[in-house]
Amino acid sequence: MKRLMIGIAAALALSGTAMAQDTITLGASVQETGPLANTGRYYRDGYNFAIDKINEKGGVTVNGKHYKLALKILDNQSDTNLSVRQYVQLLTQDKVNFLLGPFASDFALADSSVAEKYQVPMIEGGGASDQIFSRGYKYIFGTLPAGSEYFDSTLQMMGKLKPAPKSVALLYADDAFDVSVAKGTRALIKAYGLQAVQDQRYSSNTSDFSTLISQLKSSQPDAILVSGHETEVLNFIRQAKSLNLSAKLYSFTVGVPTADFRKALGKDANYAFGMTPWLPSTKDKDEYFGDGANFASAYAKQFGYAPDYHAASAAADVEAYVKAITAANSLDPKKVRDEIAKLNFDSLYGRIAFTAHGQINLPQTVIQVQDGKVVPIYNRTGFLAKAQYPMPAWDKR
Amino acid sequence: MHLLLQILVNGVLLGGLYALMALGLALVWGVLNIVNLAHGSFIMLGAYAGYYLFTKLGVDPFVALPISMVSLFCVGYLIQRNILNLIARAPMFNTLLITFGIDVVLTYLAQMIFSADFRTTNPVYAGDNFAVAGITLPLVRVLACGIALALTIALWLFLSRSRLGRAIRATAQNLGAARLYGVEPRLIYALTFGLGAALAGAAGDLYGVVSQINPYIGATLTGKSFAIAIIGGLESPLGVVVGGMFLGIVESLTALYIGPTYVDVVSFGILVLVLIFRPNGILGATA
Repeated sequence: MKRLMIGIAAALALSGTAMAQDTITLGASVQETGPLANTGRYYRDGYNFAIDKINEKGGVTVNGKHYKLALKILDNQSDTNLSVRQYVQLLTQDKVNFLLGPFASDFALADSSVAEKYQVPMIEGGGASDQIFSRGYKYIFGTLPAGSEYFDSTLQMMGKLKPAPKSVALLYADDAFDVSVAKGTRALIKAYGLQAVQDQRYSSNTSDFSTLISQLKSSQPDAILVSGHETEVLNFIRQAKSLNLSAKLYSFTVGVPTADFRKALGKDANYAFGMTPWLPSTKDKDEYFGDGANFASAYAKQFGYAPDYHAASAAADVEAYVKAITAANSLDPKKVRDEIAKLNFDSLYGRIAFTAHGQINLPQTVIQVQDGKVVPIYNRTGFLAKAQYPMPAWDKR
Repeated sequence: MHLLLQILVNGVLLGGLYALMALGLALVWGVLNIVNLAHGSFIMLGAYAGYYLFTKLGVDPFVALPISMVSLFCVGYLIQRNILNLIARAPMFNTLLITFGIDVVLTYLAQMIFSADFRTTNPVYAGDNFAVAGITLPLVRVLACGIALALTIALWLFLSRSRLGRAIRATAQNLGAARLYGVEPRLIYALTFGLGAALAGAAGDLYGVVSQINPYIGATLTGKSFAIAIIGGLESPLGVVVGGMFLGIVESLTALYIGPTYVDVVSFGILVLVLIFRPNGILGATA
């Protein structure tokens, strides 16, 4: 009996090493539980989905040898400190080959320091704050457009609406992402010649917006721009309705593209503007998924919900590794890092090419919820559909 | 001036909801000497109860209020009977530890069962409002505030007039003497904890109508309730209302005059001041 056990153990150990030899492991710590679990799961699902698809198509070949991709995912419980420890663990104990990112700028900001210290690249699709990329780090790459430019297309569109909004109120939460959005937006508001009537920063955990909304009511801005988290955006809209606050337009950095947002608000979600760097489209050709639209339908079939830009960005991160590893023809983190910096390819998510800072350049498409559906309204080429503007007052809907 | 009035009204209405949230926590703390760290999770469960009754069965959230309260009463009663009774006479630290554990279990069970999706209980009238002298009054918040006051008065009458209420107060004040008069403390403890949970259930049901629900809202709500219980004192439910309104108004004024990021700094600053100068609450007897 004892001998049999030893035999089994030995066989397991051997098969373990045999497997380890032809596997490239990507490590990530994401929010599977905790207050950010709602969005964190898009990254877990996006990573898994892309890895399965790439393995199905034969995996990665390095130096004539075939490798399968594997994913080691840890749950950071929406805790930044735990997240940093987990990335250290992924590199020192689990010996993963490369790193994928967490969700949210606060996390990416802290976790990228681990990548930099151990000189292992991290491609992240969940942190957009300019701060992450302003420290001269060489091992961090991001596939979300810069936070400072989130409202650029929206403000550009506002100039073309009739009557064009003149005064703007800006509200933002006090975390890394929203602060960098506010910093960029403030400059843009000036550059587009608009008048800023309110510029208010609130705490990330705010659930009561009645004071801010009452102030907005008395200063009557034409447009309200809110940068915050989905939970705050939901509270803001519900309380705006209950205090009867109407502007000609309001727009939110997050929430609007997700199905969850529209489900929670029902018809109160209508007229809300938002933005997304990605919409499922047949124009975004992709080696593994065919195109963006194909990706979206296959993803929705597997997970039971439609992917938004978070999931697409996550899938693109995995693909970026495959391209870079293939180009480097090596698993050496430094060589792969240099190839990531040189990447320039089309994916389901759009063109992946990093700037010298490591961030991607993707224009934001302005979207609006119209009759419970997300409608692309405006991008750099002009209007894609008619904006419902000005938005009717709450009591006239 | 007009803005200030509107902000004060907002603060009072917010305070009403706060008071309802804190009422159960203060009751359990005062009688059982347990700071129930799972109180916010009870509110969260009450919110889900209201949400599912509304979306699945079409029960109006205000009609669902008693159902939510009864369900949470059962949850609270069973938890006290089966878990908390084990540490009924133990030091404060043990009760903190065990209620913290219950909080973690409830939160993660909630994510497994309800998922991390954001929910709102959104009846057609949820965003309705009316204006009095130019001041906008959100309908649901006014009703919630009214219900908070009604439940507070009911609790106060129950504790001061009914036989059972007196037994609860007697147990809190002098366990030995209460026992001599035939009070069964185990039953009283379970009833009180159940009552505290029921009040959390009521708060949660209304919270879902004015805010959004996810499995993680509990922690912040426990913190708020804790602060209100300290500011208002544990002696009387009326103190809790005063504490809630006070906090609501202070938060609203801070957001207006100092800035929305300082709301927590100021409210917890006040908490510290109350602990130093009036440790029994603003309405409580001076120490």
